[in-house]
Amino acid sequence: MSAKKLLRAFSAALLCAVFASGVCAGILTHYSYSRQFREAPSAAPSAQHPLGTDHLGRDLLARLLYGTRVSLLLAPAAALLATLIAGLFGGIAGLWGGWMEKAILAAADLSLGLPLLFVLIALRALLPLDISPVISVVATFLTLGILGWPASLRVVWAAARRYRNSDFLLLARAGGCSPSRILLRHVMPNLLPVLLAQFWISIPLFILTEATLSMLGLGVMEPLPSWGTLLKGLEDLTAVRANPWMLSPLLVLIAVVISLQLILPAREEAL
Amino acid sequence: MTVWAFRIAQRVSLLVALSLLGALLGATLVRFAPGYGMDESELDPRLSQASREAIRREHRVNSSLLSYYGAYLASAARGDFGSSAWLHQPISGLLRERFPVTLRSVVLGVISAWAAASLLALAALFYRGWLLDLAGTLASGFLIALPVAVVAIFAVYLRVPVFVAIGAVIFPKVYSYLRNLLLQANDQPHVLAARARGVSRTRLLLWHVIPLAAGPVAALFGVSISMAFGAAIPIEALCDAPGLGQLAWLAALNRDLPLIMTLTLAVTLVTVAANSAAELLHERA
Repeated sequence: MSAKKLLRAFSAALLCAVFASGVCAGILTHYSYSRQFREAPSAAPSAQHPLGTDHLGRDLLARLLYGTRVSLLLAPAAALLATLIAGLFGGIAGLWGGWMEKAILAAADLSLGLPLLFVLIALRALLPLDISPVISVVATFLTLGILGWPASLRVVWAAARRYRNSDFLLLARAGGCSPSRILLRHVMPNLLPVLLAQFWISIPLFILTEATLSMLGLGVMEPLPSWGTLLKGLEDLTAVRANPWMLSPLLVLIAVVISLQLILPAREEAL
Repeated sequence: MTVWAFRIAQRVSLLVALSLLGALLGATLVRFAPGYGMDESELDPRLSQASREAIRREHRVNSSLLSYYGAYLASAARGDFGSSAWLHQPISGLLRERFPVTLRSVVLGVISAWAAASLLALAALFYRGWLLDLAGTLASGFLIALPVAVVAIFAVYLRVPVFVAIGAVIFPKVYSYLRNLLLQANDQPHVLAARARGVSRTRLLLWHVIPLAAGPVAALFGVSISMAFGAAIPIEALCDAPGLGQLAWLAALNRDLPLIMTLTLAVTLVTVAANSAAELLHERA
């Protein structure tokens, strides 16, 4: 096995382990992410709290595991939404051409011109700041999914355009296939490799954007943990010096993002 | 010449369309946001019923989206973007005060990122060794995996200027793209032929490699300006720099929708203008 393949296998195993730990958070820790140990705020690691506690006395390991669940389940969900939007409109633009293609591409160009973070905080500002944590999670990732499609759309459109005058589509049209059937049954299976690649590319982007939004207080709301809300603890340098384990969410996030980037080429080659 | 004039006109019309669309989007969001038309001064017990009715009447004038949009466009054409609901100051004044701070950080950040990325990419091109390649890949791989807000926190820890943090965010994306572009250009058959004829390294680079990569590099430069403005929000917010990014963050926290919409529009226009100029250069190259 070459070094590259070994690295990819290691990355895939790491991703599986982190994902599994997030899903099995309830089994791996018996503390709730919001339970406070008021007698032990900012505690150092111990047998009771392997990563210590935060300034409110909440177990950091429990918060990291539940935060992993939130970030690693919802970032792919947002990526899926963005990819589906890009697939649908990119497919329509690529296949039909004409004014529809021009309109969709113009919309994508205009959206690409908008700095994502500015638009995200503008949309987030529409919601009250004291919304419930669950709504804040849904709103954050839904907004990411809805706004994250333009870059993928251009790639999907370029791929779909290749099939516009292909023989198998000519045959399907001659056979009386409806436009929706042509798109969904004949073109989409051919676009699947491109869509999968775009899906994988979007996941780390959404993980990082959520982290930044939550650190600014405009993403996931306390007490629900996500990697972003956990990283807010890094603002207090004294606390980080006292308990360097507070860096563990950052290390997990870096490991996951790098792993996602390392396994992406493997998927493209396989496809 | 006519083709160029047409292309420039195309870009300018895109900017105008974007401004109108952005303003309409902003007006729609502000108009339909929860709490629109509510004025806390109505709660003042010293006000009479007639005064309260006058305040409500003033809000009703702009209650239709189209009239609100029309009024917004008319005043924007005069350079008046309204007042901040949170700071109670004219938005145009806030823009004039804060834009130079962000522009300086963005320009210096983009220049420092490009300088570092170019040096490393050229070094990778000249000295094709695994050590240099690994060092560049590790540095860019690590920085690309950091959320922008974490880079900002590290900037606070290390007490480095805001532009260094912006540069650190842009550097990995520029470096990996630039390195691949230069390596690809360097592997072209005509470059190989020139090298076989004994053309010097410097001449090879300046006459054969860089012109080949110039187009995509110009496009990347435009994109890096857009990235820098995006990175300015968390970096200025967490580093306490009084620029547009910090203002946008505070406006979002205080739900100052007119201010945040105008800021988004202003930054969008700047980034689209930069992208358009870069694309024109790309086409020319």
